[in-house]
Amino acid sequence: MADTPEEIKKAQKKYLLIGLILFVFTVVTVAVATVPWLDFGEHGFDARDATIGLVIATIKAGLVGAIFMHLSHEKKTIYVLIVIGILMGISLMGLTGWAFDDPIEYGNSVERDGFFNPEVKAEQH
Amino acid sequence: MEIPYTVTARKDTGLFNAKVGIWLFLASEVMLFGGLFSAYVFLRIYADYPWPERALPIVPGLINTFVLIGSSVTVVFAWASLKMRQWRRFQIFMAITIGCAAVFMVLKTIEYKAKWGHQAVRMDDFTIIEGHAHYATILSDGKVERFHTKKEAKKAGEKDAEVANKAAAAAKGKDEESGGSGKADLWKAGKPFKANVLLFKPETIDFSLVRAHESWVNAMLEQTGKRNSKLITAEDIFLYGDIEDYSGTKSDPRSSKERAQKEAEMVKEYATAEEKRGHKFGGNSLFIPAGTPLSYALLEKARKVFVAGRAHNAETRTAILRENWKSVRRDLPDDKYWDQAPEAKIDPAIQLVEQLDAEGNCTAGSKVVSLVSTLSFRMDPPQPIIIKRSWIKRPVKGQDGRAELRDDTSLNAGDGEGGASGLLESPLVLSVDAIDFRWMAQKAEEAGNDPMEVIEQSWIFSKANKKGSTYKKIWKVHKKRIAELEQHLIDKYGKDEEGKPRRVATETDRYRVSWQDFVHYARAEHDRLMPGDSGFDDLRPKFWNGFAGPNHKDEEIHKLHAFPELEIPHHKVSLQSMFTPKWNTYYAIYFTLTGLHGLHVVGGALVLGYYLFFSKGLYRSNPEWLANRVEIGGLFWHFVDLVWIFLFPILYLM
Repeated sequence: MADTPEEIKKAQKKYLLIGLILFVFTVVTVAVATVPWLDFGEHGFDARDATIGLVIATIKAGLVGAIFMHLSHEKKTIYVLIVIGILMGISLMGLTGWAFDDPIEYGNSVERDGFFNPEVKAEQH
Repeated sequence: MEIPYTVTARKDTGLFNAKVGIWLFLASEVMLFGGLFSAYVFLRIYADYPWPERALPIVPGLINTFVLIGSSVTVVFAWASLKMRQWRRFQIFMAITIGCAAVFMVLKTIEYKAKWGHQAVRMDDFTIIEGHAHYATILSDGKVERFHTKKEAKKAGEKDAEVANKAAAAAKGKDEESGGSGKADLWKAGKPFKANVLLFKPETIDFSLVRAHESWVNAMLEQTGKRNSKLITAEDIFLYGDIEDYSGTKSDPRSSKERAQKEAEMVKEYATAEEKRGHKFGGNSLFIPAGTPLSYALLEKARKVFVAGRAHNAETRTAILRENWKSVRRDLPDDKYWDQAPEAKIDPAIQLVEQLDAEGNCTAGSKVVSLVSTLSFRMDPPQPIIIKRSWIKRPVKGQDGRAELRDDTSLNAGDGEGGASGLLESPLVLSVDAIDFRWMAQKAEEAGNDPMEVIEQSWIFSKANKKGSTYKKIWKVHKKRIAELEQHLIDKYGKDEEGKPRRVATETDRYRVSWQDFVHYARAEHDRLMPGDSGFDDLRPKFWNGFAGPNHKDEEIHKLHAFPELEIPHHKVSLQSMFTPKWNTYYAIYFTLTGLHGLHVVGGALVLGYYLFFSKGLYRSNPEWLANRVEIGGLFWHFVDLVWIFLFPILYLM
């Protein structure tokens, strides 16, 4: 870790560079989502656009973590903490997977019953 | 107390303590936001309505991304400055960081405000209409006028009050001359309200004693007072909590109806006498004379009596039932008790006991009291009352003459003798800036119909809609433009082996007329261009237009009349909301995620502000400790930035 004043002085250039890269990546994300000739996959938003957006976001997050948060050279204790945190976070997301076997069913919604539509209601009864 | 390991590292971890602490905290934050992101994924995958993808204006989100990334750089520089012992430089970078946090929150506020002020309507045919609700005001003669803006409505209301009060003052002068009291109530100009409410002019309002909702009662009271009207009980009301108060009186008429009447008379006599003596009507009963003004406290008092009465009835019914069982067992000793169970109905039992009672053969004792579960108030004189649509139980139609609220309050029109009472014409009036048929198209496809055909039969294009032709025209241009887009996609990307176009217009392209489209078509109409004409596409607003959404105050939009008006009959509305969590799950998760993130920004800025403004002393005595503190605050700040790096594409670009 950059700890002595000399090292820190040197590291500042790196921080600026990373900041710049993050700016550029942000512009790229927006361009991919808005500029027609950069539209990958189908016309409009689709899985490919989502993947590109999330990959860029992950790279950006990685850069922030590695450089700004000094994770590229940290002590073991902290890696353990982060790995546990991330694993728990991912397993929380994984919990959503249960729903694939047990999806939400809306049953007869208020609209379909015509509760808010007196005409439909009159027809039904 | 000496805090250990603030500067030096602990041998076992190799870290100063606070760093372990902040990482533990950040690990828990990862789980918190991870859970919320998974909620987002869940809601999106299982949404039963077309998810509003790319629905937010990008520019504020983009600027906020730059701002947060920039502040992440400056906070690192602030820390580096401390490490190099440059206090002045630290101050500058930290100040910039906090400034960035402020900019972020200002932009967030602008975005939120735009959402809260934007009207959304889901019609009963699943057309989604977005726009700016117009304003209305109630004038002194009870009429309702509608205006484009709040300002206009306010002005008109004030002017009307002035005129009304002048006339009242003149009448007062005349009245005094002719020896009258000269009393004239001043009319107070009402507050302008959004034209998305129901207006009902009741002659009577019945409040449920068990369910009346305090804030709704008070809202109605306040409105009544403002319009120089009163809500008073129309007739004397007696509420019996139990029968003890007058059960001692002997009366022996054979018919129970007569008896009840007689008893009621006696209670009235008793109550009046008690009132005259300055006593409150005793026991668990309540006497409300005619002309008592409404208050929530009164309803509460009556509720207590009602609840007591119900408890009394329950006890009495149990006693009666027990009596009934006794007689069953006496009369049919050989039967098993369950054989008789279906016979043991309470109401016949009560009749039986009353009959026995009348013959003097009953030991059950007291009698079931008749419960009054609502209190009726007369509005004198009837004035329009503003009811929020979310209060009503079901749509009210003009001829119903009755509006029922979800707290079982019922507003009743009179018999029509005293002029028009009941539901006043209260359409939802708005300047439309987007129409969305995606949900309708989805429903049509589910039912196996052609979406386009179904859409063209929707109410908004029908003759029932006064502005139907305007919207038909817009839809015609839209359809033409989509056809042009489809052709363009074929020209550019070609067709596959089966002859199907490789790229087609999205559902959003097809079924949603966005505010940009409205502006685009209005500009094209102004220049007499149609899709296919050269120059038509140049009139489309660019993506950086409309900073936080459609700007209804924009001069060009105003001049072109780009956002046409629409009056939606209120019974056609199945859900209306601002763009708040109520509108749909997308906005619910949007506000949850960005709101929680915003709180993190505020919290982080407060901590960093503390380092900036209150740490000079620590810098002098132990600069390394301060540097470590700033590193900890910085780590939190980077995490906040990191969350936003995911939030921005997920919420704004997908």
